[in-house]
Amino acid sequence: MTATTAPPDAPPVTGGEPPRRRAFRRGRLVPYWLLLPGILWLIVFFLVPLVYQASTSVQTGSLENGFQVTWHFQTYWDALQQYYPQFLRSLLYAAVATLLCLVVGYPLAYLIAFRAGRHRNLLLVLVIAPFFTSFLIRTLAWKTILADGGPVVGFLSSAHILDITAALGWTSGHRVLATPLAVVTGLTYNFLPFMILPLYTSLERIDHRLHEAAGDLYATPWTTFRKVTFPMSLPGVVSGTLLTFIPSSGDYVNAQLLGSADTKMIGSVIQSQFLTVLDYPTAAALSFILMAVVLFVVTFYIRRAGTEELL
Amino acid sequence: MTETASTGQGGGDVRLTGISKKYGSFQAVQPLDLTVQQGSFFALLGASGCGKTTTLRMIAGLEEPTTGTVLLGDRDVTGLPPYKRPVNTVFQSYALFPHLDIYENVAFGLRRRGIKSVKKQVGEMLDLVQLGDYARRKPQQLSGGQQQRVAVARALINRPQVLLLDEPLGALDLKLRRQMQLELKRIQTEVGVTFIHVTHDQEEAMTMADSIAVMSAGRVEQLGTPGDLYENPGTTFVANFLGTSNLIETEVVGRDGDAITVSGSGGCKLTLPAARCSAPTGNGRKVLVGVRPEKMAISHADDAGTIPEGRNRVPGRIAGTSFIGVSTQYVVDSAVCPRLEVYAQNIERDGRLAPGADVVLHWNPQHTFGLGADQDIAAGEEAAS
Amino acid sequence: MAASRWIRRHLVVIAGLVTLAYMILPNVVVMVFSFNKPTGRFNYSWNHFSLDAWKSPCGAAGLCGSLGLSLQIAVYATIAATILGTMIAFALVRYRFHGRGPVNSLIFLPMAMPEVVMAASLLTLFLNLGAQLGFWTILIAHIMFCLSFVVVAVKARVLSMDPRLEEAARDLYAGPVQTFVRVTLPIAAPGIVAGALLSFALSFDDFIITNFNAGSTVTFPMFVWGSAQRGTPVQINVVGTAMFLIAVLIVVVGQAVSSRRGKSAATS
Repeated sequence: MTATTAPPDAPPVTGGEPPRRRAFRRGRLVPYWLLLPGILWLIVFFLVPLVYQASTSVQTGSLENGFQVTWHFQTYWDALQQYYPQFLRSLLYAAVATLLCLVVGYPLAYLIAFRAGRHRNLLLVLVIAPFFTSFLIRTLAWKTILADGGPVVGFLSSAHILDITAALGWTSGHRVLATPLAVVTGLTYNFLPFMILPLYTSLERIDHRLHEAAGDLYATPWTTFRKVTFPMSLPGVVSGTLLTFIPSSGDYVNAQLLGSADTKMIGSVIQSQFLTVLDYPTAAALSFILMAVVLFVVTFYIRRAGTEELL
Repeated sequence: MTETASTGQGGGDVRLTGISKKYGSFQAVQPLDLTVQQGSFFALLGASGCGKTTTLRMIAGLEEPTTGTVLLGDRDVTGLPPYKRPVNTVFQSYALFPHLDIYENVAFGLRRRGIKSVKKQVGEMLDLVQLGDYARRKPQQLSGGQQQRVAVARALINRPQVLLLDEPLGALDLKLRRQMQLELKRIQTEVGVTFIHVTHDQEEAMTMADSIAVMSAGRVEQLGTPGDLYENPGTTFVANFLGTSNLIETEVVGRDGDAITVSGSGGCKLTLPAARCSAPTGNGRKVLVGVRPEKMAISHADDAGTIPEGRNRVPGRIAGTSFIGVSTQYVVDSAVCPRLEVYAQNIERDGRLAPGADVVLHWNPQHTFGLGADQDIAAGEEAAS
Repeated sequence: MAASRWIRRHLVVIAGLVTLAYMILPNVVVMVFSFNKPTGRFNYSWNHFSLDAWKSPCGAAGLCGSLGLSLQIAVYATIAATILGTMIAFALVRYRFHGRGPVNSLIFLPMAMPEVVMAASLLTLFLNLGAQLGFWTILIAHIMFCLSFVVVAVKARVLSMDPRLEEAARDLYAGPVQTFVRVTLPIAAPGIVAGALLSFALSFDDFIITNFNAGSTVTFPMFVWGSAQRGTPVQINVVGTAMFLIAVLIVVVGQAVSSRRGKSAATS
């Protein structure tokens, strides 16, 4: 306890420029030090691999003699010619699954945001909780649910729904498993939370009084939804559809577990080319094309939706 | 004793010399000199964006001045970070730590300075702001007024040399704001610490402060006691920003000892004391003559004869009236000046004073002030509303 | 008439609950089939009730080893991704610096990329470098794809934080380190915890990227994948059910604790 006139921790007051400038210079470097490790990680293990992949895709050679960069762009052409059905199928399945997620997920998001009252947290937990069981196990459960001769197939069959879907080419015979319907069901199921959570977040932000105001201004509930609620939830719709479309376009788990050879998606092809056939250039080219297509679709979609600051 | 050492009993005035702040090419604060006497309640008054908060933040150390120095007593603190200055701040919207309870919020500063036994001081401080029972609540469980008092306690417990208040009452409703104005004034008198208070509310500044610096566009327009600023505004900005002023464009036509005679449009002659005119007063000079609405009296034109001699008179016609309980506000159009405002106490209401009635406005020439005519006559009107 | 009006009024509720049932049905199936005693190698159709699998959860060869490995990787990946991601988030919100645009893109891109593309490209890198595929390559990959999610979660929290709180701390004699430890970190904690939980879940459940870069190492999702080909032991369902129940328990306990804390604070 000394009776000094300055605070104990105060340095001698210089009032001059040097200490301040030093502090400033040190402060200016802080963000770079904070960014460095994480960004370096992403550069080395995300960006550089993409470059390696691009280079692999234009190599030729064999496993035994090694691969050389020969700028063999023919690989792309060959790969596209051979695997365009899988490409188109992937995009189609992903698009359908995304649309289904939106249609099926919107009411639930709306319910949680506006109609759940004190059950809101419970419902949110129920949406997220299934996540905690490995998605592979849950996908396998669909094998049981959609099993031949099971109650679901029995019902669909006796209600003649399977006749309709078979006519459309979604199912074949009295089966659901190993058909496009099963794959799309699995995709929709697996990526539904990615749709519901962003939808819920954007719906929850809407001031409830806007509904009352719309009602006060002669809007029917349906008009209120079309003119007020839905437009205001668009940011959620955009990010939800992206978060569903992107992973489902590259997915091969659902196609493999619930589908058949006729429902093979591009992810399966890339996987088998890489891990089984060991044709690295073709696999890299396919992967590169998939990346380009998805990035193109995403950019185009974000531009159209006009929400570039979204993510 | 260390804790009192840093609080500077020896203290002294806050002196800003040539202090200025520039953000890129925007000059937020023009170089200004300002001295705040120890123990006084000082207000920085101005509209938003006038540089008052920036000035305050430079005293706190949260903003680095572009030029100039900040002195506390004899000590130059310009280069010191905020945590080394014997200055504390009550932030706009309080900035109470949401993860700490009231007790820990108030104890925060003491603990950071390594003081172990804080219980007694925190207790006393909470009693001072009458929140003793709320020690274990979280800030978000308190009302706006209570949060405000916690913010004051959290700053004051450090016995700062200067307490800085950044729009501390801005988030409160009118009634509570009035109550807290008195409360803050009481606390200031009790602890005797220098308060520097930033506000855009002229009424708040006048009620609380011993002296006020009116700021506009990064400059101090005028400095003085509330009464002085109100009675003798030095610029049209101050005249319009602090209360309401009727400003009349005139030309000097003569001088008789201490009294200057001016003439407005329509040949109406008015007089004012030379001492209350801040502009040059040679013959032919343009002068803005000002008078506060409550200083004027209003008489029906039929009674013009009963007005005593020696008063300034302006004839006109009532354009509108509004009744506000204690007084009635009249808007009078006159050849001298359109839209003159007059506040008349509701003692005996004259039924003839209705829109359209011809009237004479008259007032004691001593209550007239003069300003240079080279300024914007409407400066500060927008800002005041 | 009344019935149709009731249905119309509650259409949203009905549709929402149907969706919820769709989402939960597989979990119910997983749980029910954890008590099954299947006839063949595959646990897809009901035979009869049995507690065998619950009595010996590690009874399936390799299952518990893969589970342990997955937990271990998830913990390490979560720690690393949370630290690196939190640092990036703070830099993005709190500082001005050159190259903000590219940094933002670099964080956004991994989330906008199909997993299989990242998996394949990372494998080409490891193949080219001649790296030994296994624990370390999996860990590297997991940290990479968890990072962006941590950044997003922490950034959202720090963005909503009043910068005046930190100014207030500095004004109250807290130096830079003290300000960070006493004010910034506690207030940012919910965002950091959210990012960490998300990382853990993503890493623990990842299959595609792991499958490409694991070599002969087997994580739990890979074990499940393999068993889908060779035969699914009931123990998989036991693990799935247990994880589900533990997660629900944690959520429920967390809710109870936070609500009780809120209540006691309000009445003290």
